[in-house]
Order: sequence, then structure tokens, then C-alpha cells
Amino acid sequence: MNELSEEERQKIIHSAPVGTWALTLIVGLSMAAAWLFLYYGVFLPRGAIG
Amino acid sequence: MHIDPLEKKWAYVALGIAGLFVGIIMINALFHGIHAPSNVETIDSASLHLSEEFNEDNLGVQVENKGKVTVRMVAGRYGFFPKHITVPADTPLTFRWVSMDVLHGVHMPMTNLSTMIVPGYVSELTTTLPKPGEYPLLCNEYCGMGHDHMWSNISVVAKEHWSAPEKTSSKGDATHE
Repeated sequence: MNELSEEERQKIIHSAPVGTWALTLIVGLSMAAAWLFLYYGVFLPRGAIG
Repeated sequence: MHIDPLEKKWAYVALGIAGLFVGIIMINALFHGIHAPSNVETIDSASLHLSEEFNEDNLGVQVENKGKVTVRMVAGRYGFFPKHITVPADTPLTFRWVSMDVLHGVHMPMTNLSTMIVPGYVSELTTTLPKPGEYPLLCNEYCGMGHDHMWSNISVVAKEHWSAPEKTSSKGDATHE
């Protein structure tokens, strides 16, 4: 990283954080999908409790 | 307080996910009646045998007037009584449990049937058992030295193969099969 020019460094700093957004989406969607599977795919088919 | 915009976005995503989960649970609780068992109804644990509802001949599976299937059981160290019951699958079942001595729990593996049985209270829950088969009914609250032997059996049979048990009228003749 030390070999980056100042221009390249500025470009990286000011560009959109694509990796962060990708990570956010992957983690968020995976977590929501896992929860929905457990709720609708496991919990409710075993017989709802009331 | 300064919060980095990216951190804010992470927080919005996390809150959105939590909101989605809570929303689904709330909708099912409010509109479909799916919630944790909650029933506040007291009973004298020391005289269950004298009560109209939980005397020996009244335990087990019964079909009420409007076709509602009700199961009444007594939990006591170390067993659930009756020891074996047969219920229909895919049918709303109302379970009512009482304890004759100490705190017990009841859990039916591979189903959502689980609740505490507190002395002095009637534990009630309504559920539907979708899959026919043989299931154990286990105590899941430590109740004494014989806790790990406290269990009984439930046979879940297809609705079309199930017939309502005849109600016994003779006193002291219940077999507790």
C-alpha cells in the first residue's frame, strides 16, 4: 500500500465502499433467510402454539 | 455525537432485520394466535382428586360438546397421568395440565409442545400435531431424584383413524393405560 501514489490513495478513500456494502448485504440477507427458514420451515410446521 | 455514515447504515440494516423479525412475530401473535402459552387459572393442587375437572375418571382425551378435543393430565413425581393417550393429527388440541406436587415441565420432542406446570395453576395450551407417530412426553423441569424417569407416551394417529374415547362413568375404574 505504501507504493500507492497520492492520487490513487485519494481515489480509494473517496470511492464508494463496495466491499462493505457487499458484506452488509451478504450477512444481512443470510441472517434474515436463516431466521425465516427456522420460523416458517421448522417452527410453524411443527404445530403452532396458542 | 458524530457517527460515521457507514456505521449508521450498518445500524439501519441491523434494526431493519430486527424489526422484520419482531413484525412477523407480532402479526402471528395478534392475528393468528401463535404465542407462548399463557393461562392464569388457579387450582388447589392438594385436592385434585376431589376437583370435578381433574379427578381420576375425567383425565385423558375428551371431545367437548362443540367437537373441541381437550386433553387433561396430572403431573406428579414421577409421571404424567394417564401414562398413554391417543390423539388425532391435524386437529386443534387443547392440553390442560396440573401438578399434584412440585414444579414440573412438559415437552414433546419434535413438536412445539412445551410449557411449565406450576403447582396451584392450570397450564393450558392449544396446538396441532401435524405428523402421526409415537411421541414421548418428557418432564423438562428438574423435579427430584426420579426426574429423568418422568415421561409418558402420546400416539398421534391420522384424523380418519381416530375415534373419540368413550367417557368412563364408573368411579375408581380408570385404568390409566
